[in-house]
Amino acid sequence: MTALAFELKEKPEQRLDLSPLIPSRLKGLKAREIESLSIGTARGKLTVGDVFKLKGSDAGTIRFTGTDGRCDKIGADLDEGEILVDGDAGAYLGAGMKRGRIEVKGDTGALAGASMNSGSIAIAGNAGERAGGILVGETMGMKGGVLRIGGKAGPMLGERMRRGLIVAEGDAGDYAGARVIAGTILFKRSVGKSAGYGLRRGSLIFVEEPKDMLPTFGDCGVMEFDYLRLMERWLREAGIAVKLGDRARRLMGDMSVLGKGEMLILA
Amino acid sequence: MSELKIKGITVVDTFAEAFPMVGTRIVITAPSLEWALTAARTMTGFATSVIACGAEAGIERTLSPDETLDGRPGAAVLLFTMDTNKLQTQLRNRVGQCVLTSPGSACFAGLEGEKKLKLGASLRFFGDGWQMSKLIGGRRFWRIPVMDGEFLCEATTGLTKKAVGGGNLLVLGKSHAAVLAACERAVHAIAEVPDVITPFPGGIVRSGSKVGSKYKGQIASTNDAYCPTLKAAVNTALPLGVEAVMEIVIDGLTKESIAKAMRAGIHAIAAGGAEAGVTHITAGNYGGNLGPHHFHLKEIVA
Repeated sequence: MTALAFELKEKPEQRLDLSPLIPSRLKGLKAREIESLSIGTARGKLTVGDVFKLKGSDAGTIRFTGTDGRCDKIGADLDEGEILVDGDAGAYLGAGMKRGRIEVKGDTGALAGASMNSGSIAIAGNAGERAGGILVGETMGMKGGVLRIGGKAGPMLGERMRRGLIVAEGDAGDYAGARVIAGTILFKRSVGKSAGYGLRRGSLIFVEEPKDMLPTFGDCGVMEFDYLRLMERWLREAGIAVKLGDRARRLMGDMSVLGKGEMLILA
Repeated sequence: MSELKIKGITVVDTFAEAFPMVGTRIVITAPSLEWALTAARTMTGFATSVIACGAEAGIERTLSPDETLDGRPGAAVLLFTMDTNKLQTQLRNRVGQCVLTSPGSACFAGLEGEKKLKLGASLRFFGDGWQMSKLIGGRRFWRIPVMDGEFLCEATTGLTKKAVGGGNLLVLGKSHAAVLAACERAVHAIAEVPDVITPFPGGIVRSGSKVGSKYKGQIASTNDAYCPTLKAAVNTALPLGVEAVMEIVIDGLTKESIAKAMRAGIHAIAAGGAEAGVTHITAGNYGGNLGPHHFHLKEIVA
């Protein structure tokens, strides 16, 4: 059995809600039943069959090809299996997901991995604002799992995250790690203004020193962290090559809130 | 005494009687192997026998940097007690006083298992609110601020209820020096066997005990049947020519590992041959009614 594949026929005239297209909801459905699922967001009815050409039958792995930035909610609430996106994805990619794996070759819109619970998301391209952040109606952002962004990350990365790991391999925007409750964000490149704004607990690890540092973080100086060795080893095993070493400058904050968070700037 | 002989040394047809225990393994790492071993030795000190130490513990083996989670040299420690609550208390006290305190140390789980013992999950309170929890790859670690930086400690470690304590070998010989040398060889050989420790000083006990005593309140007393100075007065187990007896006690995570260790020990003792002064290899038991695990020497060397 080959993976169930959805190939976009032509650019849709409206934004699509692809949240029904996850393994647990497609298992056991016939191709015709899948084609009749409604994915439109405008007034007229729009079904999967109107927009996508279907191939394959194994719903455990779902592949999207030719998708663009208007294909929203791919893998939202995913609870098992794999989704591969050979193209771009819209907003809410993997939002609230509970298990499984999502891989995107292109860019994603806003709120990728927002309030996700577990599982992993790997985005090869850029991610829009509030990746790993907080969904409307939720009290917390990302609650677990791993979110990897190969390109640039938009503003408010990991807003109000509670647990889990975000790896920003490209530059991150303003207010990265804002209002974080706990969890870890690793920044391999630069960050914008006000990183760690409102950080309560949690670790923001910077390979490059941020240019604009909030005054509400207190410097503890440079010291050795066995934790970084552990992290580096785990990242390597997860296929994320980064040299963390074992020394970092520690800043505690945000002192305007709880102040038990930290910025570790590799030394 | 029966006639099985290895290199002229009589292997007595008897068995070692061993007991069920609960056990766990932890991994201690440090900036150098020396410091990992220092923490491990401190933690496993005064842990020869549950009779009065509360636990039996020892260093199972050293670990190279590529075998540890943080890429530093380490030591694997095994800890055994008679029940889970005692194991939890001993683990907390020993890691808390001996590993947490040791410069540059970190402490990780060394055993998987459905049942868990608290490790960092109880020691974290030393952090007085400044401790941080990190979940990495599904495993929780505590970072506890201390004066030399941070004590990194995994939240829990696994425990096994299938551990076995009291596997043993008794070595009889014509001179103290001969018996000691043979036992040293055996301890070295047993050190290569995974999942076991020899908790006594240098792995060797010179004061094997029997249950009970003529004195009220003394729960164990000298094993007079094996005391060479008492041959004429008690129901001795020793031929006249035997000058010294030493025992090797083995605790293991499984009964198979004890059998392997005893086998390795017997062959190492016998390696010197009878001409080196060892006359008998035997084992201690209580008639077979106290402990459920019986390790028959004949089966073990077969």
